Amino acid sequence: MSGTLAWDWSTHPLITSGVVNSLIDRRILFVGGKGGVGKTTTAAALATMAAERGRSCLLVSTDPAHSLGDIFGQNIGDQETLLAPDLTALEIDPDYEAKTHIATVKEQMKSFVHPRLYSEIDRQLNLATHTPGATEAALLERVAELMATAGVRYDLVIFDTAPSGHTVRLLSLPEVMSAWTDGLLKRRRQSARFSTLLGNLTGGRQKGDDLSLLDTPTDYESGSVEERVNNLLTARRRKFTTAREYLLDNTISAFLLVLNADRLSILESQKVVETLAGFDVSVSALIVNRFLTDTIPASGEFIDARRAQQNKYLKQIDDVFRGLPRTIVPLQSHDVHGLEALRGIGSELLKP
Amino acid sequence: MSATRLDTFRVLLKEFYEAPYRGAIARAKRDEDDLFMLFVYAELLGIPNPATYYTLELQPILLERFHEWHTRMGLEHSPLDHFRCC
Repeated sequence: MSGTLAWDWSTHPLITSGVVNSLIDRRILFVGGKGGVGKTTTAAALATMAAERGRSCLLVSTDPAHSLGDIFGQNIGDQETLLAPDLTALEIDPDYEAKTHIATVKEQMKSFVHPRLYSEIDRQLNLATHTPGATEAALLERVAELMATAGVRYDLVIFDTAPSGHTVRLLSLPEVMSAWTDGLLKRRRQSARFSTLLGNLTGGRQKGDDLSLLDTPTDYESGSVEERVNNLLTARRRKFTTAREYLLDNTISAFLLVLNADRLSILESQKVVETLAGFDVSVSALIVNRFLTDTIPASGEFIDARRAQQNKYLKQIDDVFRGLPRTIVPLQSHDVHGLEALRGIGSELLKP
Repeated sequence: MSATRLDTFRVLLKEFYEAPYRGAIARAKRDEDDLFMLFVYAELLGIPNPATYYTLELQPILLERFHEWHTRMGLEHSPLDHFRCC
């Protein structure tokens, strides 16, 4: 191995164990990155570490292809499952969420129409389950709800997200959706303003005006259509706004990017950092995972070539993500499985 | 002029000034409400709606107004093949 190419990572000024400590001290932590770089393992190791320090932690997988259960060697599924003291895990099933949501709407609709139309409602709404974005919206809804539990039911909520593109979309949705509900609410307010004006004119509403949508008092009568529409919209908006507020507050949330020292991983991570910046979300730290460190006792022409290449890429990572704290996790000789192995990864994360 | 006739005159005069405004405001309000209905039922008319999943829960509530709305929009019958209200 060529000595000049070896990256002396132990003296790199940006690598400090303080990075990881400050990450798990927050309330919400997103772990993202390209597919297969080791997001789930990293998230699970951080969750284990936090739990063992006595911070009650919820580890959530938003990836439709869940692998949390595989890492802990235990079935998890769509309900909060206690894995160890202070360590709870959850694998969100967005299809199930969407179906439940639509089933609720169906039931509500049926209370308005004649039973002979029930089959029409079923047909119409079953189509809605398959509209593009329905599962995505359901997932966002659940993530927003879970973000709100951070600091209330749990000290720390860690999201093990699906590969990058998906995550970026998820993080941008609160902004888009709250803008959308705002638009709707504005229409309602405008309509209510006209109602007030009408009420102030003598006679107010009169028979024969034949404007049937007018029977809408401004102070929404309890139980009225206006009030129910308004309540639903406001509740939605509040959920999105809270999620977005938390996302933007870097004393509350952090976004941790996992990558490997290879070309594609660096390029994709670069795009993630840029896109997130567009939504005012900043990446807090990088984890360079599966790194063939000098401490790994292996040699040979093949290994030396890989080492040389990784060191070159590590240098590139330092150039591209200048100013971002990073830490290195060496390549493991065995698959990471179970609490003991996760503790091992945890101690690697803390190594200076 | 007797007191009652004066009262009638006053009411009529007020009506004379306010009636046109009332009509205009009522129409403006109805247009707002129609626009809102359009947002909620957009997808049913083939207009992509970024938030179908979220507006879906408003649909049952507004269903009682659906018929009035689509008739006012110039559609004699419900625009949906499989969702008939009339």
